[in-house]
Amino acid sequence: MSLLTDHALQIAPGYRLQWEEAQNMFVLLYPEGLIELNQSSAEILQVCDGTKKLADIVHVLETKFETTGLESDIVNFLTIALDNGWLTQRA
Amino acid sequence: MAGLLNAPSPPRWLLAELTYACPLQCPYCSNPLDYANLSNELSTNDWKRVLKQSRDMGAVQLGFSGGEPLVRKDLVELVEYSHELGYYINLITSGYNMDEAKIIELKEAGLDHIQVSIQASSQELNDFIAGTKSFEHKKSVAKLIKKHGYPMVLCVVLHRQNIHQMKDILDMAIELGADFVELANTQYYGWAHHNRDQLMPTQEQLQAAEAIANEYRDTQKGKMKIYYVVPDYYEGRPKACMNGWGTTFLTIAPDGVALPCHSARQLPNFDCPNVNDSSISDIWNKSKAFNYFRGDDWMKEPCRSCPEKDKDFGGCHCQAFLLTGDATNTDPVCDLSPLHHTVTDAIDKAAQTNQTVQQPLLFRNSKNSKLFNH
Ligand code: SF4
Ligand code: SF4
Repeated sequence: MSLLTDHALQIAPGYRLQWEEAQNMFVLLYPEGLIELNQSSAEILQVCDGTKKLADIVHVLETKFETTGLESDIVNFLTIALDNGWLTQRA
Repeated sequence: MAGLLNAPSPPRWLLAELTYACPLQCPYCSNPLDYANLSNELSTNDWKRVLKQSRDMGAVQLGFSGGEPLVRKDLVELVEYSHELGYYINLITSGYNMDEAKIIELKEAGLDHIQVSIQASSQELNDFIAGTKSFEHKKSVAKLIKKHGYPMVLCVVLHRQNIHQMKDILDMAIELGADFVELANTQYYGWAHHNRDQLMPTQEQLQAAEAIANEYRDTQKGKMKIYYVVPDYYEGRPKACMNGWGTTFLTIAPDGVALPCHSARQLPNFDCPNVNDSSISDIWNKSKAFNYFRGDDWMKEPCRSCPEKDKDFGGCHCQAFLLTGDATNTDPVCDLSPLHHTVTDAIDKAAQTNQTVQQPLLFRNSKNSKLFNH
């Protein structure tokens, strides 16, 4: 599935993003599996709340980390996440 | 790695085998052959203690299985409690005894997903393998699961008697709206090991099935995820044991025995600890059973000096035990094992059974289980 810049992104049904105290990290949970997320992946997924499109996500994260030029990394990650079915997008 | 010196990584996965009771009789069941002699199921409060202690250590994926977990009267209560603790809760069921009211009740309690197993793509074969009339009911349960917003995982265990239905099985999965399909070639433990000669497919059957799985994986991309679990007897290299013994998975059997893997209780003199006697953290960190195959100090040759030992951890210890009589041997599936012939002999023997005698399958039920009293 390719990334549609005019669609909002959200965690796919059946998937759950959750902070794990014992492991000190975010994990993405789904039927019979889990993915341990590094910090940047977790930051991106947390912003995918079903209301924000690519440009909004980039804006939120660049503001939060007081930086610019994050777009290509974010696009790369979102593309992987969509291919794996972790995210869905809707108009 | 000096296994005992470093604190082991915490469990991530808890498999709670709530009961060995099951209305079906699948001849490839991984439960112990003598399950009928293992009574004394844990109480609701025992399970709650196990759930809490495991969660505190870091377990986050939770599977309720069995036997048939729906047989337990306290299933909804346990799901509710686990949800409060923050588990992602998987129910692994045959679908037998499931109805719409139960599906709704479990959803409200916080169940995240239901995996239904179907034995074949036709009623006749499904009901034969299951030893019980169940096909139409399973299909309607699968549809209800979808209807109530669960991700739907369909599991089909593959073996010689159904593997030719691969295409029909996948078409059925599409028709039922499955989100994930798990096509699991039989692994030869428990009842499956006993029935191996009648269950093992031929190499040609496997290649044909795998080609179909790959074809559907392409056409269903983004719609239905297909997991195809290869049968290791034909692989030349063993599967990595449980992601490393005592690193990730914790199984609790119906009677409270804690196992590093669901087959481990068949290993002799292994002294698996019981949750009635010890805390989960003592079991995980300190028990002999959980430390036994941690690291590589236990390894013999050829594994000990093998460059692949960090990849497969010497393979499956339960399989090494079943086929060679010694769990510390290299998994004989590995073609570097000096006992690899035990696997090739088994393949040959199954092929002969295929052509000549038609031996009956031994179905999993308590009458047959009592044959294995020891
Ligand atoms: S010899 Fe042992 S470690 Fe090496 S590939 Fe075979 S099973 Fe794995
Ligand atoms: S020993 Fe074998 S059955 Fe047990 S966990 Fe390892 S791979 Fe699985």
